[in-house]
Amino acid sequence: MAKLSLLLLSDGRFPAGGYAHSGGLESAVADGLQVADLPRFLVERLAAVARPECVLMLAAARAARVPDLDALLCLDAEAEARTPSPPLRTASRRLGAQLLRSACTVWPERALIAAYRAASNATPRAVAFGVVAASTGLDDLDAAQGYLYEEAAMVSAAAVRLLPLDSADALRLLTDAEPTLNRLADEIVSIRYPAARIPSAFAPSHELRSLAHARREGRLFAT
Amino acid sequence: MPPERALRIGIGGPVGSGKSTLVAALCRALREELRIAVVTNDIYTSEDAAFLRREGVLPEGRIAAVETGCCPHTAIRDDITANLEAVAELEREDELELILVESGGDNLTAIFSPALADVQMFVIDVAGGDDIPRKGGPGITRSDLLVINKEDLAPYVGCSLERMRNDATERRAGRPFQFLSLADDPTAAPIADWVRAQVGLYQAGQLQTAGTSGDEHGHTHQHAHVDDQAHSHGHERDDF
Repeated sequence: MAKLSLLLLSDGRFPAGGYAHSGGLESAVADGLQVADLPRFLVERLAAVARPECVLMLAAARAARVPDLDALLCLDAEAEARTPSPPLRTASRRLGAQLLRSACTVWPERALIAAYRAASNATPRAVAFGVVAASTGLDDLDAAQGYLYEEAAMVSAAAVRLLPLDSADALRLLTDAEPTLNRLADEIVSIRYPAARIPSAFAPSHELRSLAHARREGRLFAT
Repeated sequence: MPPERALRIGIGGPVGSGKSTLVAALCRALREELRIAVVTNDIYTSEDAAFLRREGVLPEGRIAAVETGCCPHTAIRDDITANLEAVAELEREDELELILVESGGDNLTAIFSPALADVQMFVIDVAGGDDIPRKGGPGITRSDLLVINKEDLAPYVGCSLERMRNDATERRAGRPFQFLSLADDPTAAPIADWVRAQVGLYQAGQLQTAGTSGDEHGHTHQHAHVDDQAHSHGHERDDF
């Protein structure tokens, strides 16, 4: 039942440590972002940060279906090379490792998850997600929508703790972002050779902010 | 055969009850005889880890901070993956015998997942009110050791130690509890002795935990599931 794995992976209760991250929102709030700015922040983050990562995730999902472990390890290197900010690189590695740790317990019979976990030194989150999504039977579109949704949900959940915002209003942010989520997912899964189409740069302002955030006293979130 | 990984002792309890000071005292008391590391779980970034580093109780590399996104109870109970990764990193660096996992200060319901802590102590203090043992909650009733700290403050905060003793005895149905004053005993001698005993039992393969199985009365004793944790992943990093 592929839909069950999509539900499990998208559930905030799936133990993968995402609760410690705000998707850059905390540093944006420190720089003056307010509730009214959230929709724009979310759409921009999806397009600038989540989209390139999602292309990488798709390449990993396709390699996982082969399965081609060497190709996955090459994607590790591609991901690391595209993440110049040390705090973001560390966060991605940890989130990937935590996702794989729980996935190995939840789906022990999906051998590629454990094989990739044993072979990878970096476990970037996007590659790890692609491996788990493909190994548990998700097709490209479900995997892409799941990945983008998780990115958006992380920001929405963090917003409740960082700004005067009710939880239901925070979910409204997600339904407002639905056209963006669908458009990006459709566009990404139509890429024929995602491994050759991973964008070469991510989001410089996001990278720079992450450096300042890592040094900030009294922050709530790791990123 | 010696255990494949270090014993993990969880230390939980409300904000300000003295967990970090106790952890520092335990490190000082035990560091000559045991290879110890500490994992902290902080509400804000790494306050508690910074405290332990300032105190210089352990080498820098033996203290790891888990960032909890202001959800310390999530990090020790509902989603322990970040803690398990921190533990794995510490154990990759050194062959350890004991890892103290300190929770961020939380409420009375916060308790460690049995997959994270083999045994756990819950630290409250007399200044929090002498009705706390009466209020119960899993930390009070099911922890393997209840520490009632700041005993010396009782006369100043109108706290009845007698009442706390009676309530703790009743609520804990035979499980141990210990009054403590770090002001009078900075070495936390009775707690250090309890930790030594747990390590001894663990290394002899005889450790049993009464409190973490979900059984309110603790009549069934469950072996700490050290082995199934190590075997469930089949991964080289799972050497703990």
